[in-house]
Amino acid sequence: MTTTTSDTDLLRQMRSGAADAFAALYRRHQGPLYRFALLRCGSADTAADVVQETFMGLLTDRFRFDPLRGQLPHFLFGVARNLILKNETAHQRHVVLAGPDEDDGDDDLPDDAACPLARLLDNEAAEEVRRALALLAPHYRATVILYEMHDLSYAEIADICQVDIGTVRSRLSRGRAALAKRLACMKG
Amino acid sequence: MDTSKTNTDRDPLFDALRAEVDKLDAPRGVEKELLQAFARLHPPKRRWYHRLAVRPFALAGSLAAAALVLAFAVRAPHPVDDGRAGALVALDGNGVFIALDSAERIAAEPAPRMVATEVPRTSLTALGMPLTPENAGDSVRAEMLVAADGQPLALRVSAIQ
Repeated sequence: MTTTTSDTDLLRQMRSGAADAFAALYRRHQGPLYRFALLRCGSADTAADVVQETFMGLLTDRFRFDPLRGQLPHFLFGVARNLILKNETAHQRHVVLAGPDEDDGDDDLPDDAACPLARLLDNEAAEEVRRALALLAPHYRATVILYEMHDLSYAEIADICQVDIGTVRSRLSRGRAALAKRLACMKG
Repeated sequence: MDTSKTNTDRDPLFDALRAEVDKLDAPRGVEKELLQAFARLHPPKRRWYHRLAVRPFALAGSLAAAALVLAFAVRAPHPVDDGRAGALVALDGNGVFIALDSAERIAAEPAPRMVATEVPRTSLTALGMPLTPENAGDSVRAEMLVAADGQPLALRVSAIQ
């Protein structure tokens, strides 16, 4: 049987200056966070930056995590998502886009600064799904990634994305349909 | 991050992607930079002798200081290889010197200097200074060997010579 120190205890130790507590928190959460950012923005460099900035925010208390209001992993996902959105917004200022419609966005091209269609994975089947995912509109992509890759519930995704559960359900449904359509086009 | 919950609704379409992506972690450089940032935000706590207001009183010549360093290195009565600060390392004609840093650090210091200072008696109880209610508020005159960067290396209490 192993005893694992809770995130809250590690956070308390971290705030009192324990570097090993911060390192333990980082090692516990960096993997899922990096994988979410990687699939969400399609660039290993951007994903690494997002992970770094998220943990810097935790370190400096810039984003004010309150354990009474939710779990740390969900908080970190939420921060990473917001950082990616901020990054994309900054990028959009330099790109002329024809007015995208939020709810009809399944035909939008991804708007990341990086090139999400550059090859990231060695496995052909995995890379095909990743590329199809990268072609989804960002709000569908985030929902599908959190649900399919991180096993989060509708409620948890709603908390992370700051939308209601019904919106999560509809985004997931539309995202999956759009993904299937993309994959069919790729194969056809 | 716990993502182990069972989700029976997971799309098998993602199985290959899950297997492939689960192997990925953030680059090692990210952890290194974060730990460096942590160290900058939480510098190690300074011990009492780091906070002393060192007042240059009688600056010994570099020759005398160098001789003192040599004495530390050669005449150490106890092993100090573990690098613990506070170990008794040498005696000379004027009293007991107590190392505040490792003998290697002291011996390696290129330009040590001696300064006189006053130390609260309460700060020296851990080093064996007798303390009574009557003298708890007193200060003790001491000589301190200081590195070129201001780091205290060793201390000698003048009052118990």
